[in-house]
Amino acid sequence: MDFISPEGLRLDGRRPLELRQLQAEIGVVEKADGSATFEMGNTKVIAVVYGPREVQSRSQQQHDQALVRCEYSMASFSTGDRRRRGKGDRRATELSLVIRQTMEAAILTNLLPRSQIDIFVQVLQADGGTRACCINAATLALADAGIPMRDIVASCAAGYLNSTPILDLNYLEDSGGGPDLTVALFPKLDKVSLLQMDSKIPLDVFEKVMNLASEGAKAVAQFIREKLMENTKQLVLAKGR
Amino acid sequence: MVVGLSAAEKVYIAGGIAADIRGDGRGRHQFREFNIDTSVIPQANGSARICLGGTDVIASVKAELSVPPPGRPNHGKLEISVECSPTAAPEFEGRGGEELSMDLSRALQRSFLGGTSGAGAAIDLAALSIVEGKLCWALYIDGLVLSSDGNLLDALSIAMKAALSNCGLPKVEIIGGTSPEEEPDYELSGNPEEFTRLETSLVPVIVTLTKVGKHYIVDATAEEESQMTAAVSVAVNKKGSVCGLTKRGGTGLDTSVLLDMISVAKRHSAVLRRALAFAGLFSSPNVEKRPVSFCLLLFRRLDANGCRTK
Amino acid sequence: MVLETQKALLKSDGTRLDDRLPTYVRPAFLKTGAVKVAAGSAYAEFGSTKVIVSVYGPRESKKAQAFSDIGRLNCDVKFTSFATPLRGKAGQDIGDKEFSVLLHKALEGAVDLHSFPKTTVDVFALVLQSDGGDLPAIITCASMALADAGIVMRDIVAAISLSCVGKNLLLDPTYKEETQEDGSVMVAIMTSRREITQVTLTGEWSSTKASEALELCSDACQKLGESVFLVPKVCIEEIGNFAIFQLPRPPLRN
Repeated sequence: MDFISPEGLRLDGRRPLELRQLQAEIGVVEKADGSATFEMGNTKVIAVVYGPREVQSRSQQQHDQALVRCEYSMASFSTGDRRRRGKGDRRATELSLVIRQTMEAAILTNLLPRSQIDIFVQVLQADGGTRACCINAATLALADAGIPMRDIVASCAAGYLNSTPILDLNYLEDSGGGPDLTVALFPKLDKVSLLQMDSKIPLDVFEKVMNLASEGAKAVAQFIREKLMENTKQLVLAKGR
Repeated sequence: MVVGLSAAEKVYIAGGIAADIRGDGRGRHQFREFNIDTSVIPQANGSARICLGGTDVIASVKAELSVPPPGRPNHGKLEISVECSPTAAPEFEGRGGEELSMDLSRALQRSFLGGTSGAGAAIDLAALSIVEGKLCWALYIDGLVLSSDGNLLDALSIAMKAALSNCGLPKVEIIGGTSPEEEPDYELSGNPEEFTRLETSLVPVIVTLTKVGKHYIVDATAEEESQMTAAVSVAVNKKGSVCGLTKRGGTGLDTSVLLDMISVAKRHSAVLRRALAFAGLFSSPNVEKRPVSFCLLLFRRLDANGCRTK
Repeated sequence: MVLETQKALLKSDGTRLDDRLPTYVRPAFLKTGAVKVAAGSAYAEFGSTKVIVSVYGPRESKKAQAFSDIGRLNCDVKFTSFATPLRGKAGQDIGDKEFSVLLHKALEGAVDLHSFPKTTVDVFALVLQSDGGDLPAIITCASMALADAGIVMRDIVAAISLSCVGKNLLLDPTYKEETQEDGSVMVAIMTSRREITQVTLTGEWSSTKASEALELCSDACQKLGESVFLVPKVCIEEIGNFAIFQLPRPPLRN
């Protein structure tokens, strides 16, 4: 299958190095401590943060740092063909773990000992790149909840199809059989906190794809930063009145 | 959902309801403002999202081609399920939301699916049939609770009604295999302009009356719900027929009170339906699939008889 | 099509397939003390719907559960695999769970939970044979079992369901009638207080018809409740067909 037309355009009309349209909204769930939606093209995720709060089960309490928990769930209507996904299926468990570890690395857990932070990520629409989208949404929700972080985490996926590195795969490209590489990084510290890839690619190509994903993540980081600034400005204005 | 309230807060809520002015300034028979967005899920055939105060739910309708249910060759299928996302409350994590999800799904199924014969269903099941005994539409209506501040059932029913009105079924062309022995051969139209709408005028809306103390209120918030002694959810359709009854709460109700509640719910449902029809004006078939947002600010000032109050 | 089903359910003289008039319930048989090891138990037959309910407790709540200064009522409904024509009917698990929830809702208003703080009363219901009206049979039987166990209750709960087929309201429907119904109503009532503890309604009903159905059900519950009251006293009592708005038929004796 041709994923890139002779004119150099992808199936959805993007150039290989182009991100999908990004959209975000902060503070979407009133009752939560922090919440945000994040959209990358047709992929839409809502993330909600409860905490820091008292640890629910005593045995899990850590005396020197916060306990970070994460649950990932997919709405039954989020995929093209409707299917009910159990909450505890392997994919959901794996993603919960990945998101938890990535966010835990960013949160200054040592500042919040004996407390618990819950991150709930709900996929409303899945069109490739849910992993990256979830992490971006979680970052915004954590920032909205005012939880101290080393740096924001921004994430983006990249792949390699028709001998071309391409950025921010959609569902069709994702299932195209090529590698799918997701990177999450701290843009200010310039450190990678998550790197995942399936399938195989030559080492020299890997570097190209990896760099592309990092560049994408940095662009996403810029977007997240702007959104946060905008939100903060609004809060300041609201307070001033 | 667990709502921690002090004794003083409890007295405040009960006292306010008795005095016909609630915590947020509403009377006993006023709904909160709500906001409906349609076509929010592009992958679904129809979808709607409603924000009713702090309650936020999404409903989606997906249509799939299927085989008619056994024993009813000229009927289609209708399935309803609800999921409570942990984003609404941390208690819904893991299996925590299952019980509530099941409760809500059952109440909605009771109101939307009609009797076992298929009579009284929200959507005319015969209209979903394509080839008798062989091919029909199966509509999967899914509700997702994103944020919860009371009155989930009413919000879900409104969202589902809006999603069904928003739903377009692609045209199916039968090419061959119409004789009883053959498998039907069909083609789905790829043209986004070619679709049929569902007849949704008889889809009921649910009005829940929550009894706190001696009085009952509509559109209770989570705090008010925590103080209820009993709640009755009544589904009413355009004809004024009762399509479903569900009771919650342990306290018993007199039959006469129940009948009174049904008639009050009927009045409220008429107002709700009018507001929904008003919102429907903005989603004419020509602008299909473009998100439509409609804010019912006026609604707050409509009393149970649909008249504007000050 | 509609006419056909009606013909199938009602005979030309207006009686049902089992010779009942539409407002008659099936012959019922109620008995307490069916399970010796339980704190209280009851067995009920409504026509060929047969249920058995045993009550255990009050006993210590599970450690995992949070402290509660009122008692807990734990209800569990199970079907035997031979209860239905199709062995282990598909989707039965979901049905069981829903029945458990509805049973709990119907009983919690009648049981005085304050009388057994910090403890749990378990109500285990088993449907031996399912032939329509399973849930109301379970509810009535469970309230008898609770009374038999000496649990403090405000009142006995009696429940009856009703099917609407075409224009006819059929009280206490059989399985066959249930599968062809256009709508159904189930009412559980505390009989001497005349308070509805649980009500469900499906299908499309005009207001007048709905209130007619609700009143028919509550009257039937009333009559049923009167019979149930006798049971704990005599310990074994057999009720024949009883009629609503009609003269009772002579009780059947086995």
